[in-house]
Amino acid sequence: MTAALALHGVSKAFGTNRALNDVSFAVGRGEVHALVGENGAGKSTLMRVAFGLIPPDAGEVTIDGNAARVESPRVARAAGVGMVHQHFTSIGSFTVEENLWLAAGRVGHPSGRPPISNATAVDELRAALWRGLDRTAAAETLPVSAKQRLELLQALATGADILLLDEPTALLAPAEIEALLALLRSFARGGGAVVLISHKLSDVFAVADRITVLRRGRVVLEGRRSELTSPEVAAAMVGGEIEPPPAPAATGAVRIEAGPLRVQAGEVVGIAAIEGNGQRSLLRALAGLEPMASGWRSEAPVAFLPGDRTTEGLIAGFSLTENLVLGHDRDARWTRGPWIDWGEAERWMGVLIDRFEIKAGSPRVPVSSLSGGNQQKVLFAKIAASSPAVVIAENPTRGLDFKATVELHHELRRLASTGVAVLFHSPDLDEVLSHSDRVVVLRGGELLPVRSTATRAEVGTMMAAGVGG
Amino acid sequence: MDPTVDFLAAAIRIATPLLLAALGEMLTERSGVLNLSVEGAMLAGCLASALGAHWSGSPYFGLATGALGGLAVATVFSLVAIRGRVDQVIVGTALTLGTIGVTGLWYRWAFGAEGLGLTLPTVVWTPTVIAGALVVTVSVLLRSTIGLRLRAVGESAVAARAIGIGVERYRAAATAVGGLLAGLGGATLVLGQVGTFAERMTAGRGFIAIAIVVLGRWHPIGVMLAAVGFGALTALQFAFQAVGIALPYQLFLMLPYLVALAALAGFGWRARAPADLGRSLS
Repeated sequence: MTAALALHGVSKAFGTNRALNDVSFAVGRGEVHALVGENGAGKSTLMRVAFGLIPPDAGEVTIDGNAARVESPRVARAAGVGMVHQHFTSIGSFTVEENLWLAAGRVGHPSGRPPISNATAVDELRAALWRGLDRTAAAETLPVSAKQRLELLQALATGADILLLDEPTALLAPAEIEALLALLRSFARGGGAVVLISHKLSDVFAVADRITVLRRGRVVLEGRRSELTSPEVAAAMVGGEIEPPPAPAATGAVRIEAGPLRVQAGEVVGIAAIEGNGQRSLLRALAGLEPMASGWRSEAPVAFLPGDRTTEGLIAGFSLTENLVLGHDRDARWTRGPWIDWGEAERWMGVLIDRFEIKAGSPRVPVSSLSGGNQQKVLFAKIAASSPAVVIAENPTRGLDFKATVELHHELRRLASTGVAVLFHSPDLDEVLSHSDRVVVLRGGELLPVRSTATRAEVGTMMAAGVGG
Repeated sequence: MDPTVDFLAAAIRIATPLLLAALGEMLTERSGVLNLSVEGAMLAGCLASALGAHWSGSPYFGLATGALGGLAVATVFSLVAIRGRVDQVIVGTALTLGTIGVTGLWYRWAFGAEGLGLTLPTVVWTPTVIAGALVVTVSVLLRSTIGLRLRAVGESAVAARAIGIGVERYRAAATAVGGLLAGLGGATLVLGQVGTFAERMTAGRGFIAIAIVVLGRWHPIGVMLAAVGFGALTALQFAFQAVGIALPYQLFLMLPYLVALAALAGFGWRARAPADLGRSLS
């Protein structure tokens, strides 16, 4: 069988960083091929080469067996390749229709409307994606899942039958993820080719026919899904086994009380909720940043890990030390009255860098020079430095890769084992279920207790009940 | 007198108003506010210092009223651009143009259409005071808690707010200090350099001060070097004239901008503005 899209011996270096090292990769028609790996493993770079966004240093791209000089996205699209980027690319003030015309290159292009027939796999997929989408609505007014579908429609606007998707499920709720994966499946069955970049192994094992694992720019594992196991793929991604977390150690002293939500010292409690059900306000209220409902209580000092770490949690242009001091600017360890003892603050930051194994050149480098996982560790270190009684974390693993996610949950567990009450929320139900001692569902701003024997499906139903679409 | 001493004295005299205005603008910009009304604040400082010194007979009183003149312009900026959240570039530009008109009108109203015969008592503005302004700026901005918070506000208003810093209070305060320093800069132009007031006498110095902030990379020491460098470039003109080389003064007025442009355009000058510069808190 000729591959729909193949990359042969592709290498690419950025300065001294070898992002891709002799990588070969192929996806056939009728196939969903998952490309997995840690952040910085080269997944996105590889797909950007395939889509003509980055010229490779060596190697070639073939489309349907023909060697193609994919020198720009225009060439890739003309050859039937469409890409869905990690971040939304639609223009907020444009309508759905206008965004699609823009993607297709012509005002009035038929892709601005739902397809008339379901003759091909592409039409069928487009019809499914259009469901519930109003072509005259401004893109910025769409809910996240509709925006994601618009991204797919944009990729398909020029009739692509080879789809490259970079982390398409990152922002979606469990039911939406399942729906999207099902669509991709049937698109492939109808003759399309799909490359799915993900670091969520549950997605990968749910949908992929083949799996390729990249680590540090090289292919370290490749095979049919049926021949691989999840732990095997995880170990290949991180380059070794993953140690188990410390055991739970609840002590009984209740530190957070909010109706059915109670968190004891030493315990990790997860909040399961679909985006937009009041989790933002709930977590901020318990963190003391917004007014609390009567009868609620959370024991000070509370430390809060905001979901958007580089806009709310850390200042990207500031050094690690400056970020540590900011927000702890009355801490006697590094302040003398109104003055800051930068030497002492830097020494403390150095201690924290060691303690949390932060990969940073020195305490003086700007936070923006660190990877997402290391930025999250800096934020974590900053919080731990204040010896909190309660830690509230909002989607703490957002954008983190597999290993960093595991490490973060270990750190949360370690904090709990020192007698801290930990409350966290993630839009990923599997993450909430596997990392908390107890789960509470938040739906429409209302907290609902979950029986300890509840199954994943039952929790999912509780989350979604009464929510339209 | 020794021409070298003359040259240095002229360089520092010319640099003084620029340095004060640029230090003020640097503080303002580090809080995330792009205040383009420095020219207006300097001009208001010129007129206010002239009036103050004229009526009191004391140049030091004139310095104080000059600073207040600058503060007045900055306060209007604060109310409209920070509190009212109107676009900072538009407000700054409008204020500068408005101040040119208002100061001219006021001057004519106070001294008649000719405006002649205004001779003001002058001060000798010593480098010691400049050094003082620098030391205060460096320690407050880079070594104190207030300075750290101010820089945080300029880098990320959202993050600063999330840890409970009053973003708009810090921005208004930094703008006010910027206005005071710009007004003081205008006052030194009148009372330390020219000895009288004339319409539009700042002649673009406010904008040069803004360029100096960029050239000085938003750092007090850098700003000082850039201001003194500009003073030297201008003083060179007098030195050239003294030895008989005549160059149009406009050339020297252009020079710092050309240097700034050239530097920013790619002589490896990695300047980074505060990340939230010019953005209102949404």
